Amino acid sequence: MPHRNPERSDLNAFFDPRSIAVIGSLKEGFFGGYVVIKSLLNAGFKGEIFPVNPSYKEIWGLKVYPSIKDVPQKIDLVLIITGARSVPGILRECIEKGVKAAIVVSDGFAERDEEGKRLQVEIVLIARQGNLRIIGPNTAGVANPSKGVIPNPYEMGYKKVKEGAIAICAQTGMINPQAFPYGDLGYGVSKICDFGNKADVDECDIMEYLENDPATKAIALYLESIKDGQRFLKVSKKVTSKKPVLILKSGRTEQGAHISASHTGSLAQDDRIFDAACRQSGVIRLNTFRELFELPKIFAYQPLPKGNRLGIITFTGAVGVLAIDEGAKYGLSVPLLSPGTRKKLDAIFPGLGKRIVDIGPPMAVVNDYMSIYSEILNTVTVDPCIDSILNVIWTGPSGEFMEEYLKIYRGLQGNRKPIASWVYGPRVHYVNEMTCQLEDMGFPVFPDIEMAIKALGKASQYAKTKGGNR
Amino acid sequence: MKKSATIVQLKKEGRLILTEFESKKFLKRMGIPVVETRLANTQKEAVLLSRKIGFPVALKISSPEITHKTDSGGVRLSLNNMKEVKSAYHEITEGVLKQYPNASIQGVSVQKMAKPGTEVIVGTSKDPQFGPVIMFGLGGIFVEVLKDVSFRIIPLSRKDALEMIEEIKGYPLLQGYRGKESVDIPALTEIILKISRVMEEHPEIKELELNPIIAYKKGALAVDARIILEEKASL
Repeated sequence: MPHRNPERSDLNAFFDPRSIAVIGSLKEGFFGGYVVIKSLLNAGFKGEIFPVNPSYKEIWGLKVYPSIKDVPQKIDLVLIITGARSVPGILRECIEKGVKAAIVVSDGFAERDEEGKRLQVEIVLIARQGNLRIIGPNTAGVANPSKGVIPNPYEMGYKKVKEGAIAICAQTGMINPQAFPYGDLGYGVSKICDFGNKADVDECDIMEYLENDPATKAIALYLESIKDGQRFLKVSKKVTSKKPVLILKSGRTEQGAHISASHTGSLAQDDRIFDAACRQSGVIRLNTFRELFELPKIFAYQPLPKGNRLGIITFTGAVGVLAIDEGAKYGLSVPLLSPGTRKKLDAIFPGLGKRIVDIGPPMAVVNDYMSIYSEILNTVTVDPCIDSILNVIWTGPSGEFMEEYLKIYRGLQGNRKPIASWVYGPRVHYVNEMTCQLEDMGFPVFPDIEMAIKALGKASQYAKTKGGNR
Repeated sequence: MKKSATIVQLKKEGRLILTEFESKKFLKRMGIPVVETRLANTQKEAVLLSRKIGFPVALKISSPEITHKTDSGGVRLSLNNMKEVKSAYHEITEGVLKQYPNASIQGVSVQKMAKPGTEVIVGTSKDPQFGPVIMFGLGGIFVEVLKDVSFRIIPLSRKDALEMIEEIKGYPLLQGYRGKESVDIPALTEIILKISRVMEEHPEIKELELNPIIAYKKGALAVDARIILEEKASL
């Protein structure tokens, strides 16, 4: 098989194409070319869309072409949603037409059977010879919300993915818009990519592309396998020196690894070796699917901490103690506040200047609570003995203090120390509302204390070992 | 690529496993501290060598066909004088000949008995995805039962080497505990780095194991070693 040209890591045509051809079924439904075009139009894609299908004349007000050869203009990207057997022929036509990028949504390749494996080798061969790059096969594709590039083959139920600084890429469509409520989140994403069977474009290509993508500040990856270990080590070391890379890798157990191998047609691996590779290259390893969406937030939206000293502001001592226990797992320590800060806090309310700043007692008795809250938060934030802050917010039974909280946080924008927040209260509605509004302002809110602490802990570790252990 | 005479010779013979003596000779040339080991072909030579090396010594059978030296009665430890060496040599050669009448015997290796210390292991293998990887652990039950080992991918930096030592759960045992002194961690780091270099420079090596290495307050010494070559190593 011809070797990949190492210089060709530029995947721009996938994420910022000026024209997209959609090849395959245009039948109305929840899946297929019909949905791809609808998603692109909804997301406000400004480039040209060329539906290709011999049985249609028009769809969504667009002219349909019988074949790729009949499209008069240049095509930057094609999406192929046909039976696996017809993919090689279509790719040859694309290459003739000068196409450089193809997303092969079709399944039935290496993940299916021997014949599928053979087909996958064949399409890679065709692509390499024709200087065409493939994402997939067996993929839900990509998204670049900043350009309205959301060629989603599955109905997503909302129009826009919020634009942001986190890139989420995976060996599954579970991260694509039809599976995750990107429309309702407070934070946004820069790029989404499901690399499916990663017959051609793999985790290293994506990392190299995102390394130089100015919109991406943190890279989150879900992997079932590593295609080329030595290259992975080299590339991830280089990328983590610029941006954090967070990886969730499955196949930790022997059975998991075995099933994964048959599921995406990739090789099983010793998990301890992958763990060593992460340690050596400065990759942050994740444990749960939830973390894939949560932990990158601290990196994308807050500054890196300068050290491991954590400050805690909470409503109850219990949360503070839990946070201390959790922080120890990641090397975070909760120090005594500086004498100046302690004095200031004690002046605000007697006994407030403790290691854990517990605002429960003053809240119960002070009338103008919010005015002292603002002072407390600001005082702790600037303490020279603190590198990062966990702030616990309580939203009352009727959404009390929401406006005031937001005002105080607005005043903290541009802060030099990372703040992780946890919001709780008796009404889910207000908790969600507060979470969304804070994240919209760039302050990550975590679903529980443990996750908030883990985010700060990982940020502190990353700041120390940025780019691996050199 | 440096080529080792031992390895070239081995390939000629169609062998893939180096004997302990050959492994140590090779590793010593690579700058790894190994316990002084010589090869004796006669009983008389064994006695002479033991006197030269200094008592106590250990005698071990050296044969490419016998990989489990202890099980085959091919090992005698802590020999304190010429008389003990003489009878040990006799017992080893007689016993092995009885069990393995067709084995080709290189001789009997005479080695200095290393002073007791803390036993550790360094090993390498090849991962199908990442290539050569190195493993570190505490010897004995720690590695066999508790699987308390750490891994890194070759090549590794000095910091990686130090971290893989610190990463094992038994690390406090190396730092010294209950009045016991700390072992020479820089010396262990150096061995790990040298082994990493050996694996880089010798792609023909498939697996390598120093088990045990005895670590002291000052220095560390590989007492036993094993090297296995790749089947399709190009020379």
